[in-house]
Amino acid sequence: MDITPDSIILWQYGKFSLNATIAYTWLVIGLLTVSSWLVTRRLSTATEISRWQNLLEVVVTGIRDQIEQVSRQQPGQFLPFVGTLFLYISVANLLNVVPGYMAPTGSLSTTTALALCVFIAVPLYGIASEGPIAYFRQYLQPTWFMLPFNVLGEISRTIALAVRLYGNIMSGTVIAGILLSLTPYFFPVVMQLLGLLTGQIQAYIFAVLAMVYIASATSAHQQQEKRTSTQSS
Amino acid sequence: MTIDWITVTAQIINFLILVWLLQHFLYQPITNAMQRREEHIAERLEEAEKREQEADQRAQDYREKSERLEQDTEQIQQRAEREADRKKKELLNEAREEVSKTRSNWQTQVRDEKEDFLNNLRHQTTDTVAIVARKALGDLADSALEEQIVQSFIARLQSLDEKSRKSIVKEGEKVTISSAFELDSSVRGKLTRAVHKHLEEHLEVDYRQSPELLCGVELSSGGTSLGWNLANYLEAVDNTMADAFSPVEIEKEEA
Repeated sequence: MDITPDSIILWQYGKFSLNATIAYTWLVIGLLTVSSWLVTRRLSTATEISRWQNLLEVVVTGIRDQIEQVSRQQPGQFLPFVGTLFLYISVANLLNVVPGYMAPTGSLSTTTALALCVFIAVPLYGIASEGPIAYFRQYLQPTWFMLPFNVLGEISRTIALAVRLYGNIMSGTVIAGILLSLTPYFFPVVMQLLGLLTGQIQAYIFAVLAMVYIASATSAHQQQEKRTSTQSS
Repeated sequence: MTIDWITVTAQIINFLILVWLLQHFLYQPITNAMQRREEHIAERLEEAEKREQEADQRAQDYREKSERLEQDTEQIQQRAEREADRKKKELLNEAREEVSKTRSNWQTQVRDEKEDFLNNLRHQTTDTVAIVARKALGDLADSALEEQIVQSFIARLQSLDEKSRKSIVKEGEKVTISSAFELDSSVRGKLTRAVHKHLEEHLEVDYRQSPELLCGVELSSGGTSLGWNLANYLEAVDNTMADAFSPVEIEKEEA
């Protein structure tokens, strides 16, 4: 029983092989890009807008609001990264209803890749916001003795991020597969619906956690700034 | 639980590509569009506010203008009323003056007419009375009447006071007795005697006939004269007539 789309080879040419994970990722990328392009090539700035534009505006505004709520910062710089995490995972999970489709998020390679992206993005945002010295000093808080634990925490939360998403999506697929052989027809459909819900929740959780990690890396300096400003005032 | 590191690398690249694509096709255009629309709406709102202010201002202007207009109208009306009043008074005065002038003209005319009428009447009455008297006296004149007239004349001579007598009688002058009819010698003697008796003794008396006396006797000496004749009576009648009309004249003027 295949539990990861990595092992499904769709196309092979010599050494190069195209597995299902990458193929379905491309599908998701294509879907998102084309639908976005179809809508945004004809954007209206008047008060009357098309339904599709309205939908996209609602989505983007919703993501921005979420980012703002979590980070308490201007959402502009985080929107591409965090928004794309959410949209990608969300659409990848949503397409599970299509027969024959296997969510790329059900592959540990994909979730690891996303978690690595977050793992790299956090210090990047932190350094961009605080400067390298201030950022790395966080690892010495409250004392230098805590440095290994801080580093360990950073790594472990990245692993947790990857495994959480992979486990949820993979387990949904696996459960559906097992139930299909045990009680066909009705129950697997319910589980599939539950899987959709789980998929959306996981997308939200992944994006919000990423945002929280980035925010914690960028907010230390701002908290300090706030403190000095309140003192001076 | 296997991690295919090639797939991981590919997925990282895929994800970064997706970030770029979505940034390019989704976030940026949508954000820009929303921002532009918000700006647009803000602009519209601002414009609407401006327009509203303008409308308010204009309404205020109109209100002020209409108030001013009302005041002007009132002033003009008042002025017109005053003017009309003044004009009315002027016209009334003019009319009054004209009426009084007309009235005075009319009164003058009436007075003139009355005077003319009275004059005419007087003349006619005098003429008529004279004609009637002349005719009657002419018809009646005879010796008896003469006798009577002479008697009257003599009576008058008798009744003369000293002053009148002195004015008639002048030294060295003779008196002339004129009569309308021829006096016979006996009457002449009578008269001469009366003159001698009542005026002056030895006074020379001349006799003359003068028809303008109508009927009567007149004694004249130098400038003064004394007599009894109808012409004197008729003059008296004339005077009486004039007196009779004058009260009427006063009454009319009062009215």
